[in-house]
Parts: sequence; structure tokens; C-alpha cells
Amino acid sequence: MRPHAGAPLSRRRFLSLSAAGAATGAAALSGCAMQVSSGVSGSGETVTVMVNSGDILPEQVQQAKKDLGIKIVLVKYDITKLIAMLTSGNPPDLVRGVGAVDSPFFAARDVAEELDPYFSRSGVLKVDDLDPVNDLWRFDGRTQGKGPRYGMAKDFSQDSMYWYNTSAFDKAGVDHPSETEPVTYEEWQETAKRLVQRKSGQTTVFGGSYGGLTRSTLLTTMTASAGGSLFNDDFSRVDFTAPEARKALAWYIDYCKTKVGPSLIQPDPNGWDGPTYQAGRLAMSNSGYWMGGMIYPDKKLAEVSRLAPAPLFAGGTRISACQGGTGLWMPKKAKNKDAAWRVFEWFFGEEPAKARAGGGWGIPSLKSMRSLMPAQEDAQKRALKVQENELKHFSVVSFTPYTRADALDALFNQIAPAAMNGQISVDTLAGRLNSAINEQLKRGKEQVG
Amino acid sequence: MTVDQISSVADRPDAAARAGRAPAVGGSRTSMTARRHRAFYMFTSPWIIGFLLLTVTPMVYALWLSFTTFDGISPNWKYVGLGNYRELLNDPVTWDSLGRAGLFALTSVPLSIIAGLVLAVLVNRPIKARGLFRTLLYLPAVVPPVGAGLAFKLLFDQNSGASNGVLTFFGFDAVGWLADPYARYVLLMTVLWGAGNVMIISLAGLQDVPRELHEAARIDGASAWRTFRSITVPLLSPVLLFQTVTGMIASVQTIMPLLLAPLGDTSGITTVPQSNYLYMMHVFAQYFALGRYGYASALLWVLFVLILAVTGLIFKFTSGAVFYNVDPEAKK
Repeated sequence: MRPHAGAPLSRRRFLSLSAAGAATGAAALSGCAMQVSSGVSGSGETVTVMVNSGDILPEQVQQAKKDLGIKIVLVKYDITKLIAMLTSGNPPDLVRGVGAVDSPFFAARDVAEELDPYFSRSGVLKVDDLDPVNDLWRFDGRTQGKGPRYGMAKDFSQDSMYWYNTSAFDKAGVDHPSETEPVTYEEWQETAKRLVQRKSGQTTVFGGSYGGLTRSTLLTTMTASAGGSLFNDDFSRVDFTAPEARKALAWYIDYCKTKVGPSLIQPDPNGWDGPTYQAGRLAMSNSGYWMGGMIYPDKKLAEVSRLAPAPLFAGGTRISACQGGTGLWMPKKAKNKDAAWRVFEWFFGEEPAKARAGGGWGIPSLKSMRSLMPAQEDAQKRALKVQENELKHFSVVSFTPYTRADALDALFNQIAPAAMNGQISVDTLAGRLNSAINEQLKRGKEQVG
Repeated sequence: MTVDQISSVADRPDAAARAGRAPAVGGSRTSMTARRHRAFYMFTSPWIIGFLLLTVTPMVYALWLSFTTFDGISPNWKYVGLGNYRELLNDPVTWDSLGRAGLFALTSVPLSIIAGLVLAVLVNRPIKARGLFRTLLYLPAVVPPVGAGLAFKLLFDQNSGASNGVLTFFGFDAVGWLADPYARYVLLMTVLWGAGNVMIISLAGLQDVPRELHEAARIDGASAWRTFRSITVPLLSPVLLFQTVTGMIASVQTIMPLLLAPLGDTSGITTVPQSNYLYMMHVFAQYFALGRYGYASALLWVLFVLILAVTGLIFKFTSGAVFYNVDPEAKK
């Protein structure tokens, strides 16, 4: 029965009208979101870039508008937001990503644009000029490091290297590590034990930190250094019981157990090594060349800081991989690809890239910009020399496309503390990690297809 | 002004005349009821639309996701029916984290209600600088949880925290407060830190207790404790019930353990010490670290049903113990 005019608005009718209103509202909101967050203006001169604060500075945005005639809209990087934007078919035009772990993940899911055609016609970014670190952004459908390019690193470091404070060594009467020849992981840990200082149950000076960029990349690269591979041939399984992987795992658990440095069971409240190292409370910091950016401006700290090669396992291979290679990639459904590529060229090959190269916060990802790396001060010259030598040992250690590194880290963080606290053995831990991580990889493989 | 009063003002003959309409002779009851309904729904519609759009829609969407293997990005997700629900029944982490969340609620809710009530009784007394004390005690409750979490992390850090600074000053060994088995106590302290919220609600309830009842009890020779037990608490019982229900819901959904975790990134969710790994930590880990949107949605729906059930039980078992001070004349 249709209600007549002036009849009371029944609850049922009101609720149905509300539901219809809500649905219309949702559609309208979605439409608005599409218009706003795509950032694509009618003239096609606006590019939305999802980055962390500091990746692109506000003054650089102004400069881009002036130099390129393109308005850059910055969106704070947030993986949940990115997934929501990708799912709604409304992604940013360029997105921040960690080459070492993100590139195979996004490329395998067919959400990243293949950039080879763009590189081939670029007058700014020449393939010949790309540093090998950019191979982290290549994926052939199975293996990282081969095939088409999906992004580019803004700069990089070899993240198994470490900085050390000579004062802490002198105070403990320990010889300085060589700046040219690597120590073994076993030696590194012995040194850390001699450097650590404790009082009343508190660690006043950490002997050394060794946590890699993420636990996943740390264990992947350490296993490679021991001469093995954490993943099987098609990257669908891990095996922590394999001798090389077990060796890496046992070393890391031992490092945590001895509490010579920050770890899951002895966290550093600063969240990263910088402030602790600067305060003289960390004798060795597992950080690559990039930490020089923090060290050089502090003259006293620069004087006592040295960069050392990545350790290796006794009898193992000298490998010094990049565990980051952070840069940008372009979603396949980006609305404004040509303008986005122009911003890409500008960010990686023009003023922002030159500014980064001179800052000392990383090695430029273009070979032609190496000459811009800081080498005025003695500390800078010394670190640069060590770094140049280390580059000879660079290699790409491939990561699985079937899950994000965060997921593997989350599983590791959940299972490993029991071993770090001595409640379970390394072998039991290896079995539990295999079981949990392989289940996650299996789900990922089913979803990628 | 109530909705009825608004309607009746709008329906006055003079108002109708000013609007150029003939006054409703004898007043059409149907028309008046329609106007009342319309006014009611007009006033409530912003909330109802918001509720439908921002609560019901996401809940229905999450229910749909809970029947899938959706991970937010991969192309080959599929419908698995009750597969996620079957999996969670066999997932020991789910049950362990749920048990810890229940235990946390059973501990933290009574503690914070008692602490808030004690503070409310104290600042309800006629003491000097009462306003200042009320402000100071309420102040922690307005500190954003993220800030409070950070402050507690620094305060209880093993190597540089002030708490261990005090211990070592007196010759004791430092304690790893943010790791097991002590992490649960730090978490409880963060809850009690926010007891000002409970205090302010209890204080409002206390001020509603008629003074003459206290005076009568005093004349009858009742002790302060007896007065509190037999007059104050029964009259506060609706407030206490409200705090129990909302406190229980908030405590099982707390994300405070995450703010005290060693790592602040997505994978840091699982760095929460085992004793603080509550149900919502498990949900967060499944959603944001492992990307298992389907499974995490199933976990959330189970929590929603459990909360409904527990709330129902609380109402059922307290129905005889809660005293609603309703004016019988007003009901006529």
C-alpha cells in the first residue's frame, strides 16, 4: 500500500529512506574521494605522490611547480591507505616503496607499471647510468633482480656494514676493526661482548647493534653470506633448518641472547641507532653509509667514527647487499602516467637527486652522480674510501614475491623471543618458523596464482 | 524542550494562522502524530544516517570479508564460507589472546572503577583547592593515548627509564619492565593513569545523591562506611553499571599494548610481550602485518558477538542490584 500525502512517516519507511540516503551518500563520498585523492586536474598537471615526510620537501614541491609546471600533491605513506586506494582503482601516481622487499610483491600482483618503455625514451634517466642497486626493482615474474623494471631507488647503502666508535674501542682496550678487510660474524659478536658495559642490571653502553633493515632481509642476506639461500627456487618456501640458514639464525639468536645490543628482548627506546650512537652509548652500529649523513655534521662524533665492511661467516662468501633501495614505483592504474614519469625523472635525475647525493645520506642510484658524494672533510673521505671498496661486493639477494616483509617479520617477532630468552632451542625455533612462514607463503602463492 | 513540546508549539492555532493556514478544527490526531514522528526523525536522522553509513556498512562489509581470503590487493582471493571461522576455532593464538583479554578486562575494569570512585569521593569532600585537585586528577585522562604510551615507554625503559633510575639509586637491580613478566603491570598502570575519566563520571553521580539522605543516616548514627555502602553505592549503581559495561567493551578493544611495544612499525604488533598480546593485538597482526583481511574480519565478528553476549549477561545479572532513581510522579 502506498502511503498517502500527509500520512505519518513510518519507521520502516524512514529507515528505508535513510538507507537509500546512506547508499547515495556513500556513492557520493566515493566519487568525491576519487576526485580528491587522484589529484588529477583537468589539465593533467597534478601528480599525487605517496611518500614519507621528508622524502620530498615542501620547497621541492614549489620548485617542481616552477620548473616542470606540475603540481605535486603529497600524500603520507600508509600501506593500509595505499591498499584501499589500489583496491578502489584510485591509486596515487607514484608511491614510495622499499626495492628490496616491495618490488616483487607489487609486481607479482600486477599493480605496478612496467617502466622499461619510459626508461627507453627518457633523456634524463639512461639505463647505462643506473647503478646495479636498481636491479632490486626488477622482477621477471619469478625472480627479483631480473626482467622489467618497476621502480627505482632514490639512493642506497649496503646495509650489512657497520659504523664503530673508536673511543669505545680504546676505552675497552680492543683493537679497531679493519676498514678494508671484513671480520667474521663470530668475531664481530666477540668484540661486542668485550665492548658492552653494564651496571646494576642496566646496559650503559651497548657493544653493538645488529638487526639489519628488517629481520627478513637480515636473515636472507646472512644466509646468502653463509653460502646458501633462505628460499627455495621458486620462493614459495623457506627452510631455516638448511645448514646456512640455521647458521644465520643461530648467530642472530645468540646475539639477542647475550644482550650485547638492542633486540626484541632488549629494545632501544629510541627505535633506531642514531641517537644512541650519537650519545656514545653504542660502540658499533649496523648501519650503512647513510648514517654518515647524521655523523658528519657532529665534528666530535665524525672524528671518532669509522665505517667498516660487512662481516662474513667464516668460510662463507663476501656479500654486501642492499636491504633497502627505497624509491618510487608507479601503480598500473595511475591516472596521469606521463606527468608522473616527468616527476619521476625530476626526482631521480635532477635537482632532488643532486641534493641527496651531496647530503651523505646514501649512495646515489645514478653512477653519474657519484662525484657529488661528500668528500671535503677527512671523515667523509675515509668513509667514502671504505664504501667505494665495499661496492665491489654488492649483490642483489632476491626476496619472495608471495608476501610482504612485514608479514615475515611479524611472524618472526612472535615466535623468536622464546628462543632469545632460552626457552626453546634454535632447532625448535627453525621448525616453528618454517611452519608459520611457509603457511603464509602458501596463502600468498595461491592468491598470486 | 522535548520533541512533543516542539510539535505542540508548531501545532498551535496561532502558529498555523501566521502561516496562512486554517487552524485544524478539533486537531487531526493523525496529522499531529505525523508531525511528531517527522520532527523526531528529522532530529535523529544525522545520527541514523551516520550510523548506517559509518557503522552498519563497514560491519556488513567486514562480515562479507570474513567469508573470503581477501588480502586487500591480490587478484585471486576466493569465497571460503565458514572456513575462517573454523580456522579461528582451531587457532591457539586466538584463544590464548582472548583469554588474556578477558583476564585483562576482569582486572582492569574493577581496578579503574574503584580507583575512579575513590578519587571521586575524595574530591567531592569540601576541601581546600578542590577544583585544582579535580583538574590535576583529570589531567592524565586528556593526554592522548599515543603520548601516554610514549611517556610510559620512556619511563619504564630498562636502561634509561626513570623507574629503574629510582631502583638503582636505592641499590636495587634494574627491572625489564616492558618485557615479560612485568609488562602486564605496566599495562595496568597505563589503565589506572586514565582513571580520571571514571572519576569525573562518578563525581557527577555523587553530586546527584540527595544530601538529606546522608544527613538522615548521620542522625540515625550510621558510620561513614555504612552510609557509603547503603546509600551512596546503591544510588550510584546505574553509573557503576554504565562504567562496567563501557569499561569492559573498551578494555577488550584496547590498543595500549601496541603503544608500549618495542617496534612501532606494522610488524611491531607482534613484538608486544606475550602477557600483553591481547585479542585486538591478534586482530591487528592479522589485518595489517599479515594482510589477512578475511580472517581478521572473522576475528572481529566473533569479538562483536562475544561483547554483545557479555553485555547481555551483565545486564541480566545486575538487574536486581541496580537502583534507578525514577520519580514516580514523572512517570504518570
